[in-house]
Amino acid sequence: MSGENQGGAIVPYSEEAKKPVVYPLRHGLKPPISRLGISWSRGNSLRVTVFRQPSEDSENEVGGKAVEVRLDGRDGEISDAQWRRIAYGSVSPFALLQSRKNSFASLSKISSTTSPFDAEWWEYVLEYSKDISSLLGNQTSTTQSLIEDPKEVLKKDPEPSNLKAAWELMESFYADKLSQAWLPERLVDWLADYDSLFSSTQETVHSKLVDFQKDLVSLQVIEDEPKYWEVMSSALAVGWLDIVVKLLRLHGSYQLDQLGNRETENGLVEAVAVLISKMPRMRPELEAGKLGECFKAKPDFMKAWEKWRAQIAKLECSTFWIQCAHRQTQEGLRNMLQIMLGNTNNLCTLTCHWMELYIAHFLYIRPFTVGLESMYGLAQKCIQLKPMAASHRLMGLLIGILGENIEVVLAECSKGFGPWMVTHAIEVLTAGSHQADTLLHEERDNLGGISMEELHRLVYAQVLSSHPLTWQIAPIYLTSCIKQGMGLLEMLLYKQPVDHNQLLLKNLEICRLYELDSVSSNIMKIAGMYNWKHGKKGSGVYWLQQARDEARLNRIAQQMFDSVGRSISDENFRQWEGLIQLLGSEPKTAGGLEFLHNYRDFKKSLLQIRDGKTTDAARQAVESLISLMKNPCTPQRFWLPLLHDSLKLLNWEERPLLNVLQTNLLLNKLQELSIARLRPDFIEADLPPHALSSVRLALATNLGRTTLEEQ
Amino acid sequence: MIRFCPPLNPNRGYELAKGTIAAARRSAEMVWLSPIAVSGGNIATLDKGTTCSSWNYCGQRLATGSTDGTLSIFDSPDPSSSSFTCNLKTKVHAGAILKVVWVPPEFGDAVACICSDGSLLLWEEIVEDAQPLQWKLCKSFESTSTQVLDVQFGVSSTSLKLVAAYSDGHVKVYELLDPLILKNWQLQAEFQNAIDSVTMFRKASCISASISWNPQKGENQGSSFVLGFNSDTPQLNSSKVWEFDEAHNRWLPVAELALPEDRSDEVYAVAWALNIGRPYEVIAVATQKGIAIWHVGANPELDGRLSVEKVALLSGHGGEVWQMEWDMSGTTLATTGSDGMVRLWQSNLNGVWDEQAAFQPTA
Repeated sequence: MSGENQGGAIVPYSEEAKKPVVYPLRHGLKPPISRLGISWSRGNSLRVTVFRQPSEDSENEVGGKAVEVRLDGRDGEISDAQWRRIAYGSVSPFALLQSRKNSFASLSKISSTTSPFDAEWWEYVLEYSKDISSLLGNQTSTTQSLIEDPKEVLKKDPEPSNLKAAWELMESFYADKLSQAWLPERLVDWLADYDSLFSSTQETVHSKLVDFQKDLVSLQVIEDEPKYWEVMSSALAVGWLDIVVKLLRLHGSYQLDQLGNRETENGLVEAVAVLISKMPRMRPELEAGKLGECFKAKPDFMKAWEKWRAQIAKLECSTFWIQCAHRQTQEGLRNMLQIMLGNTNNLCTLTCHWMELYIAHFLYIRPFTVGLESMYGLAQKCIQLKPMAASHRLMGLLIGILGENIEVVLAECSKGFGPWMVTHAIEVLTAGSHQADTLLHEERDNLGGISMEELHRLVYAQVLSSHPLTWQIAPIYLTSCIKQGMGLLEMLLYKQPVDHNQLLLKNLEICRLYELDSVSSNIMKIAGMYNWKHGKKGSGVYWLQQARDEARLNRIAQQMFDSVGRSISDENFRQWEGLIQLLGSEPKTAGGLEFLHNYRDFKKSLLQIRDGKTTDAARQAVESLISLMKNPCTPQRFWLPLLHDSLKLLNWEERPLLNVLQTNLLLNKLQELSIARLRPDFIEADLPPHALSSVRLALATNLGRTTLEEQ
Repeated sequence: MIRFCPPLNPNRGYELAKGTIAAARRSAEMVWLSPIAVSGGNIATLDKGTTCSSWNYCGQRLATGSTDGTLSIFDSPDPSSSSFTCNLKTKVHAGAILKVVWVPPEFGDAVACICSDGSLLLWEEIVEDAQPLQWKLCKSFESTSTQVLDVQFGVSSTSLKLVAAYSDGHVKVYELLDPLILKNWQLQAEFQNAIDSVTMFRKASCISASISWNPQKGENQGSSFVLGFNSDTPQLNSSKVWEFDEAHNRWLPVAELALPEDRSDEVYAVAWALNIGRPYEVIAVATQKGIAIWHVGANPELDGRLSVEKVALLSGHGGEVWQMEWDMSGTTLATTGSDGMVRLWQSNLNGVWDEQAAFQPTA
């Protein structure tokens, strides 16, 4: 790369490319737009309010729109429901792996010999990877069953997804240590499964096959058709052996009526078919129905490979070709032999993009390629020979992997597949290399002291938080973030609405689970206030009590004093009675409430007296009165109303109910009250003007009577 | 974006591959945020003449104000729905409503409305006695000579505070006396947005003001907010961080978010980022020079000031910035301004701030 090539724009990554993407924000309003308003909702959904400049002429026009923009990094490939299924499904593999990681970490603390990168560890990672992979769809090889029956149309397999294809790439390269020895063969399988993903932007071997499949029904003499030979050769080039053999057997010479006069031709076709199906492969096994012979050990494979190539070469030189009368068959078959002999020109012509050519190289030119470095070199060579028509996110990812650059892999994952992918792939990446482990776990000042792993989890949790059906799984990911996860979880919980009871309970349950006491008390406080202000006073008090919000409860108690203090006969008292009951008698939860309890008891006994009950009730009322007046919690402004309410007790006809000591106590309180009345902030009780004097008189009378009695 | 372009000559291929890797490596440094795929759509339709809007704490209610003084409240039928309809309209003022701000949910469902005559009204949704649920005026902050430009609420462990910035450059802090009733407010402090508290700027005339409280929640969190003016008095303009000094019961300017040469710049908007675990605070300040991102130290230095560092100056909206909002992790800043765009800003792995996406409203 050099500056001289600017005109060619080899890689369009320039100042221009740095400009952010501008997305249209469709609101459907007629211009002019006067102003915009923005607000973040839960997670990373942004709400934009668009205000329209009001015009004079029309009456019933719309003045603005509120539009929601979800920045969740998902493409349209996966439906919302499917995405949620994946999101929910990946929780338990993720959580299981985290807990295993934690127990591994604690083990390694005990014995220094155990490292989390032990052989055992990657088995866990592989299990995790398989679990995740299974969520992304059960992909069966489409090429295997592409042509099941000669004249049958394509089998409708579930559409392969880019997500699954990307995950499988990473699994092969990072998680599955067993596959390291035969990575090229893994890539052969991978392309067989996912070549169709590239068909949307360019021709592929897969798309050629699909097209030919359509023509197949109408073809009479298949071997006369040049496309038949071309498609077969292409499929052979990328190693879809079973398809090639199936197609070969459609050759006209197999038909019983022609077998007699096309014997040599048929022999040649069959010989090629046999050679194809006997192709040696360096891999432990092949799926059922797949052709080729597997060799696990390299020496065995090399021996078999040499032998196989010798057989091909021998057939190529054989004299039977002269006896083959059908020109297309002769040319087609020899062409296929050239492919198997690794003729670069043929391979290059028959494949459609570099990845197919790459696979062809592995199969026929460099079957012994090992090591990422040489694989990477080969990839570069193939890109040079057969570039793709358009960029593809899977290719970006593959190049990053082959280039052994974790940063690129991460960036490609993030850009191409979104936060779900990055968050879950990090587990696989870190298992694969120490470099990745260091890179992802290093704490960065630029990120506010968190690691990249944590950053990506936070980003993913935010995506989950933005949807009402997925926010509940965000805590699993947030609690795996040691530095900032809890902070974000607190914010998330705080932003949940409290006016739906079920949601509120769920919210509090999450708080309890993660011991977020202050958050839960704040939520209960909000719920309490919501209910209190919306007429559900009982629930309001309940939640405020749960929140241990003394300030508010004391104020509520004050409000009750105001209501209940007016008069004994007031209907208000009955209204408040239940609430006082609810408030309970624990002075710790609300200081003033003890008073209210006593006050209620006192009022009850007074009511009984009024209803004609006996002296016992009166005695009880006096007890209550004294305890109320003694209690420092009793607000001063209640003293006079209390005493005024008790006039009947003070003037009890049968005998004085208060002893000298008690009477003196009350007189002292009365005196205190008289002094307090002089202060400017004194609140005058709503009582008749002579209330004070009548109480004083009653107390004096009672003092006289009780002194006499006690003597 | 990384693309494989057809090579112009055969020798370019290898360079192409090399270049691709280099570009990808650069992109790894540049972009760490999730790719932005935009989904969603219309969630509410506003009446003619609507001038301002505000979402409540959980995004379940929308309050809007209009030129004829009508306050409208939009609700959704259930929490999982994202379609909002107007359930209430009430005329709160004879003139226009310029701004609506929700009161924190710990104090009920209530909004503050800044009206065109400069008054500030608190309206609350409440059930009183045997009456049905209704919106009621619970407090009116009237002012004869000056106008309220901005108002924001701050929740401390014990109380609710309200900061109002006035057109004469004064700042008033009110405290709610009774957490149950939004009626009784006590003026706790009144000062001007200047570091030098002795000089009074008598003839200040301010066009707009922007206040942002430190959004941190928690028991031990003191009260602090950042405030900037757009006025004709240079000393009042620059954004200052004000902190409540509990011991002496006064508000102190603890940081000034402007370089010495920028101090007189008119401030369009300020926004204090949520902090979910950073060792420093992040505050965005928009002036005509652009949007500045400031790091503010958490602990005061010997002179009581907080250390500040301007880490970025973003090109902004080429004019006035109307509004800035931080997301719930405090890492993405959304801004909107006179170019009619919504822009998103983030810092990359190397701490370099850059615009990540923009939205252009289209019919």
